[in-house]
Amino acid sequence: MATLSPADRQSVWAQWQRENTLPCGPLTKPELRAAVDAIDGWIDANAAAFNAAIPLPARTSLSAKQKVWLFFFVIRQRFEVA
Amino acid sequence: MATVYQQLLPEEAQFLATAFPQLLKINGTNFPVSGLAYDATTDEAAFWKFRAHNYGSGNLTLDIEWYADTASSANVVWEAQIAAITPNTDTQDIETDALATLNFVQDTHLGTTGQRLHRATITISNLDSLAADDYVALRLARDANGTSATDDLTGDAIVTLVTLSYSDT
Repeated sequence: MATLSPADRQSVWAQWQRENTLPCGPLTKPELRAAVDAIDGWIDANAAAFNAAIPLPARTSLSAKQKVWLFFFVIRQRFEVA
Repeated sequence: MATVYQQLLPEEAQFLATAFPQLLKINGTNFPVSGLAYDATTDEAAFWKFRAHNYGSGNLTLDIEWYADTASSANVVWEAQIAAITPNTDTQDIETDALATLNFVQDTHLGTTGQRLHRATITISNLDSLAADDYVALRLARDANGTSATDDLTGDAIVTLVTLSYSDT
């Protein structure tokens, strides 16, 4: 899967600001956008490694979306961001 | 010579069908705080109407009291513009009347405390032939996409009070 389109990154950047309720400190909008772009790029660069880290049979039994969804659940539990 | 003041409350604002700020009421620690939350990435506008009581001459001064929801630095850009109609004289259809050219101000977050209250001032110099006792529609928007100047304040900017003032001579 390729990186998000500029329009999709824009959507992430906008919606995150709408839903975030915690202080951002001195972070400006362009700096936040740079973070969105970097995170998307990192996900793209490490997608294969992420998949390889999942043991069988989950790696082949789950769809790509399910694996990402599982990743989200783990993140949420670790950081309690939901 | 005196100055006339008109308080414009967030609760009195009106909106078009799309692109408008959310009216919030936050239960503060000791008193409620109400305001209009202007989005960080999409231009949103609110409107007020008033009668230009005792308007004499000169520019209008618009004081905008606002605070940042989540940011503690950077700039926000506010835009204001009016449409003035003289009842019984102007023949313009009120529902299709145009707003005068906007005026704007870029205000900088002063830091120290994220949700500190700021006051930004716009001098409205495009007066649409304003005369005493005119019906006036005022549009206040956040220039989130930075058309007039750089708006790089992350998150919502919340307007708690708007005060319009002008000279009576």
